[in-house]
Amino acid sequence: MSQAILNNVEKLPADALFDIKQRFSKDPREVKVDLGIGAYRDENGKPWVLPSVRSAEKLVQEDPSYNHEYLGINGLPTLTSNAAKIILGEDSPALAEDRVISVQSLSGTGALHIAAKFISKFLPNRTLYLSNPTWANHHAIFQTQGVKTAIYSYWDSKTKSLDLEGYLQSIKNAPNGSIFVLHACAHNPTGLDPNQEQWNQILDAIAAKDHIAIFDSAYQGFASGDLNRDAFAVRLGIQKLSKVCPIFICQSFAKNIGLYGERVGCFHLVLPQQNDASANLVSIKTAVSSQLSKMIRSEVSNSPAYGAKVAAKILSTPHLTEQWHKDMITMSSRINKMRASLRDKLVSLKTPGTWDHIVGQCGMFSYTGLSPDMVERLESQHAVYLVSSGRISIAGLNDGNVDHVAKAIDEVVRNQAASSKF
Amino acid sequence: MSNWLQCSRRCFWNRTNYGTRALSSFDKIPRAPPDKILGLTEQFSKDKNAKKVNLTVGVYKDNQGLVTTFPTVAKAQKILDQDENMNSDLSYLPIIGSPAYRKSTLNFLFRDSCPESGPKLLEQERVSFVQTLSGTGALVVAADLLAQFVSRTVWIPNLSWPNHTNIFKRHGFNDVRQYSYYENGKLTVDKWIDNLKKNVKKNDGSRHCIILHACCHNPTGVDPTVEQWRKILDAVRELEMIPIIDMAYQGLVSGNPAKDAYVLRMCLDESRYGNWPHGLFLCQSFAKNMGLYGERVGSLSVVVPPNQPESKGNVESQLKQIVRSMYSSPPAYGCRVATLVLSSDDFKRDWYKDVESMVQRLLNVRQGMYDRLGWEGLINFEQQHGMFFYTGLKPHALNRLRDEYSIYMTMDGRLSLSGVNDHNIDYVCDAFKAILD
Ligand SMILES: Cc1ncc(COP(=O)(O)O)c(C=O)c1O
Ligand SMILES: Cc1ncc(COP(=O)(O)O)c(C=O)c1O
Repeated sequence: MSQAILNNVEKLPADALFDIKQRFSKDPREVKVDLGIGAYRDENGKPWVLPSVRSAEKLVQEDPSYNHEYLGINGLPTLTSNAAKIILGEDSPALAEDRVISVQSLSGTGALHIAAKFISKFLPNRTLYLSNPTWANHHAIFQTQGVKTAIYSYWDSKTKSLDLEGYLQSIKNAPNGSIFVLHACAHNPTGLDPNQEQWNQILDAIAAKDHIAIFDSAYQGFASGDLNRDAFAVRLGIQKLSKVCPIFICQSFAKNIGLYGERVGCFHLVLPQQNDASANLVSIKTAVSSQLSKMIRSEVSNSPAYGAKVAAKILSTPHLTEQWHKDMITMSSRINKMRASLRDKLVSLKTPGTWDHIVGQCGMFSYTGLSPDMVERLESQHAVYLVSSGRISIAGLNDGNVDHVAKAIDEVVRNQAASSKF
Repeated sequence: MSNWLQCSRRCFWNRTNYGTRALSSFDKIPRAPPDKILGLTEQFSKDKNAKKVNLTVGVYKDNQGLVTTFPTVAKAQKILDQDENMNSDLSYLPIIGSPAYRKSTLNFLFRDSCPESGPKLLEQERVSFVQTLSGTGALVVAADLLAQFVSRTVWIPNLSWPNHTNIFKRHGFNDVRQYSYYENGKLTVDKWIDNLKKNVKKNDGSRHCIILHACCHNPTGVDPTVEQWRKILDAVRELEMIPIIDMAYQGLVSGNPAKDAYVLRMCLDESRYGNWPHGLFLCQSFAKNMGLYGERVGSLSVVVPPNQPESKGNVESQLKQIVRSMYSSPPAYGCRVATLVLSSDDFKRDWYKDVESMVQRLLNVRQGMYDRLGWEGLINFEQQHGMFFYTGLKPHALNRLRDEYSIYMTMDGRLSLSGVNDHNIDYVCDAFKAILD
């Protein structure tokens, strides 16, 4: 009989990052460093609640109308409308022309999941292209919904820089009307973004092929400290693609407001410009919006309220917005300082190889170019923990441990060089 | 026709036809039917009648007509607010949720609520658990797991919460069936069992899931008696169906949350049913019984068959995968509050008192309406449970209530009792009497 029915449920490998965290916490060595974490840490290695968040929480909780009632299916309107302004810009033509549909999502992942569901239902049989490499979860998010994925060239491991030619070639080779997922800024895991000139070329190539762009914006303001600067690619994309096709934006407030665990984000769909007088933008918008509602209803019923209220308060209260801008500068400048510090130390140790890419990259992560063997040795010999791809979370560095990390990297690089001579 | 479509038509001639075909399918997106309750809520908020009454939504309101925070929940929030250790880390929770929440919730569900059968299941490591986005999220994750590995057929009561069908159809179930639950003001238990017996064959290799409302059936507010449940569960077990227990209103029958888990307790009674060979799924929500609606706090527990030491871990690893690609990890704030409320016996006792006073008020409303209207159903306390009463009023009567009295109910005739209070009970009952004359 089928006592055994659940036996064919196969056990999956544990999540790499969560595993690292567990090994790290069990490690008895006195000096140990966790460079796996995907969340900001302050100069003492502690989680940091943004001062703007603290103030917003207080305002939310002291509001006499505060309660736990359900939000509407499409989320908190103060959040979604202000979030659209943040990413598109106050003076965005897409907003002025009322072409944007915005719904609340469970942070960036939830927004990507909505995009995946939407694509599998309404834009089937297209291939979706992801950068090589990309955030580990991207493939799963789309494949789970039956969307066929492929990769486009991105990182040149020899030069540790952007493989622009390969990138443009991938765009050209993809069948017209394919879907491209673009990291809006602070590419994960490499930390390497195209420069403005390169973005121009990339987006022109995408437009020329009628491709559809999904912007994954998980680090706006966290990367450079400047919301507008980090939205450059998205806004250029809207300018270049608005006549061609709809644009999807998946926006997370995990990193830039530090609301990681509260799961605050938005999914925006920017409809293309309608030159034709007979095109009924309003009815297209209503239809798409109603389909999104139905979808959200079948996933979560309605989105979590608390984090959304905190974020909305920050985005809609001028003095909190101002504080938030300062908070983002605090985070991004500490990260940049640590990048420089690590690079400088490696240079002064004369560690074999070049290390300028650490400073050239931005956001939470750096793709060091360390091999899996070196990563293993970092953990076993030096209690420095990172993922096997060689990606380090810069947020895990601080003045107290950067020396140790630099010396550890130096040792494993030299060790490898020595052993490869035999 | 939209311009973007025409543009890609033009492109069609210039280039290839890939883009065109798919873009036009985007343009043909039809409008999905609007959510009925929300439409009414919108209309209600525009209604200028000072006496207007909203009896549509399933959210508890106090005697002043306000949605308030339970005193115990407010106390927990205050503690969280003031404790540096508890409020200085907003990092991600693990994919399957907070370990502290898991521990407290499993305790509440399998020790407090099922003291006889539950502890053993926990000790034998037979419960896979994941924190979910309230009850809805639990159903979604359960549906994804089942559809992937076990079954794509589910039986849903007729009538039921409309989102049940929506969820299962959109999460891999290609065979969504209905069993008879309620007709002409009465439960149809015999027909229900008959539906199952005629259509479910236990040896033909197909496996069938069945949704059971644990208590306070939505929308009718009418539950089977314990005797009837026994007959129903006997059939469900006999046919080797997979029970999905939807427990969204635990505590709203008696005021005592642990006590209200009687359907779960009956299912887990080993002396009667042994084990559930294909697993048992419990979808649980703290939305209504802690008033944490919008914070999205709930859980899915999967009770796996015995003597399969791998199953619990395997199932959990799959649940993790499902969550990871859907939303990465669950929201933290509400779960921190719930964990605190469940953390000590004192806290739990206070919480139970909050639930009790909510239920007491709902019973008073039933009694008050009965006194004015004489509708027996209102005080059939053995079977009529929770925040809803099914009036049986037809659309034309409901339209009149709305148009003439600004009393809003859903078009199926469901009345949300918590919208009635000392200030409007006479008005509401007089209106009912007037339109029924
Ligand atoms: C590229 C990228 N996209 C999306 C996300 C989504 O994160 P969240 O769901 O926490 O917003 C992340 C987080 O690590 C990311 O790196
Ligand atoms: C029968 C039933 N199941 C599940 C739910 C889920 O609610 P939530 O997702 O808010 O916990 C509800 C809520 O109305 C319900 O009535």
